[in-house]
Amino acid sequence: MIYSSAILEEILRFANPTETVWITSKSKGIAKELALAFVMTPRFISKTPINNPRNIIDGWVWQDYTLEKLVRIYIVCLLSEKDGTDQLNLLFDTAEINEAVALHSALPALKNPTQFLLRATDAVRSNMGSVFESIAFENPYPSLYFSELAWNQMVLKCIFNDKAIHRIYDLEKRSNQALADTLSDFAHERWAAGRRVPSQVWRLVPQFMNENLQSDINKLAQSDNPRDVLASELVNKEIAQPGSTMGQWKELELPEPIYQA
Amino acid sequence: MCQNPHQKEINPSHFEGSTEEKATATVVDHDFMSYTQGMKFFDPHMHMSSRTTDDYQALADAGVVALIEPAFWLGQPRTGLASFKDYFSSLVGWERFRSSQFGIKHYCTIGLNSREANNEALAEQVMEILPLFLQKEGVVGVGEIGFDDQTAAEEKYYRAQLEMAKEMNLPVQVHTPHRDKKKGTERSMAIALEHGLDPKMVIIDHNNEETVKSVLDQGFYAAFTIYPFTKMGNERMVEIVKEYGPTRIMVNSAADWGISDPLAIPKTAALMKIKGIDVETIRQVTYQNALDAFAQSGQINEGDFIHGLEIDQSQKFNGNTVLRGGQAPRINKNSMIIR
Repeated sequence: MIYSSAILEEILRFANPTETVWITSKSKGIAKELALAFVMTPRFISKTPINNPRNIIDGWVWQDYTLEKLVRIYIVCLLSEKDGTDQLNLLFDTAEINEAVALHSALPALKNPTQFLLRATDAVRSNMGSVFESIAFENPYPSLYFSELAWNQMVLKCIFNDKAIHRIYDLEKRSNQALADTLSDFAHERWAAGRRVPSQVWRLVPQFMNENLQSDINKLAQSDNPRDVLASELVNKEIAQPGSTMGQWKELELPEPIYQA
Repeated sequence: MCQNPHQKEINPSHFEGSTEEKATATVVDHDFMSYTQGMKFFDPHMHMSSRTTDDYQALADAGVVALIEPAFWLGQPRTGLASFKDYFSSLVGWERFRSSQFGIKHYCTIGLNSREANNEALAEQVMEILPLFLQKEGVVGVGEIGFDDQTAAEEKYYRAQLEMAKEMNLPVQVHTPHRDKKKGTERSMAIALEHGLDPKMVIIDHNNEETVKSVLDQGFYAAFTIYPFTKMGNERMVEIVKEYGPTRIMVNSAADWGISDPLAIPKTAALMKIKGIDVETIRQVTYQNALDAFAQSGQINEGDFIHGLEIDQSQKFNGNTVLRGGQAPRINKNSMIIR
């Protein structure tokens, strides 16, 4: 799929005339010029918020994007469409934080998305919060292209780092037995240390129940924390009637850091 | 950038300090922060990749709100382009992120340092990738560049990078040599002028009593590095500010892998206050002048940090929710119990 023209259409809704001229002239450049334009974008394009954005790929949410970020994504798409792989690799290798965020956010719209699988799994390994989030959240790339192992690593890292998992696209769809089992082990470790696990993570287990997980859910039901009690109720309800709890996890969809500030 | 942190020889100086002044400094050592309440600092020269997270915490506590990390020599020569590339990337990536966790705005300058300019084969490759990094967001200048041994190769790459700075309209952060400093400083300035750089776009670093007058007279910014043993002491710094006033003077710590002090600026500010220098002058030499000089890059927005760095809730790091100004979560370092 070629997405650049759809992205450009959206950009032109927000760009002022000077910005439009810059974007139009840069878009005609060869790969090397496009790469430099990507780096220089913030000097010419404002950080205007993209309000009420269109949705061009399911799961790719631009809600918190700025114009500058969207222009960068557009340039990355052009590079991939013009076979600028070398320049794309250079941009990944030398990326500043905001550049890294734009590059990973753009992955689902690139011409050969699987070519960048290692970049995506490297972003999951990143300890820079915003870089991790750029691949994990509001981004359909992991759901579309990650192996089960890579997917599970991303979800677990998300939980481990106290980030709210509901921002992962296709969270329930890609849940699996291995992830549910590892989650149980993880919860046991946390509990042994006297720490807690965010209540909403239990939404990943109803399809994969076994003795271990059932005892975890029973334990939650006994918790002093009303959110854990609610989570156990929802899990039991979902087991009894699959699909019945859709939308009901909303209340638990928030970050629950183990260290409270 | 101290070449030999173990070298005990002190730079020759006009000012050695009176007995009374040395006594004052000893007192200040214990509680300098009581003199700097409400002050904000901008350190335009810190090599944070050589420092620990504890230093960031201490900087935030002492009122440092923004800093500039110049690209430099890592203590041993790099052998390939990839390690330069990764180092530059870390200055705009990981280090920037690490700093933000403590509410400190991190900028950098990018350049080929003088020592490694002497490896010409590698230097050529580094020059190729510099423009890419110099155009990046938050890169506020070309630096630190200049002379070390004052070889022909050093001069060649110093000149080439001055041209780059001119073309991109970026300030230049000039390292002046440890040995033969006075001549090296004069030569650095003469070359910058020869290339048509506006002296107000050039920050001459690591000044001392011997170099400052000429630097200021010719219209350059004069930076002073408060660094134990090999560069300036802060008592000498106080005397310089008394003599020359605040115009185009800035203080930095150049904290790195040597015996250096990341809190050099707040400590110097405290000492200036005790010694009767007015608060506005202190503000200029410890904050405003550095900001003005490097803001000429167009890459600094004071609003980003003056009221504390707004830490995006997405900027969480390994389970630590650092909110604003690095206040939480705190570890009590004196506690034997680790939770």
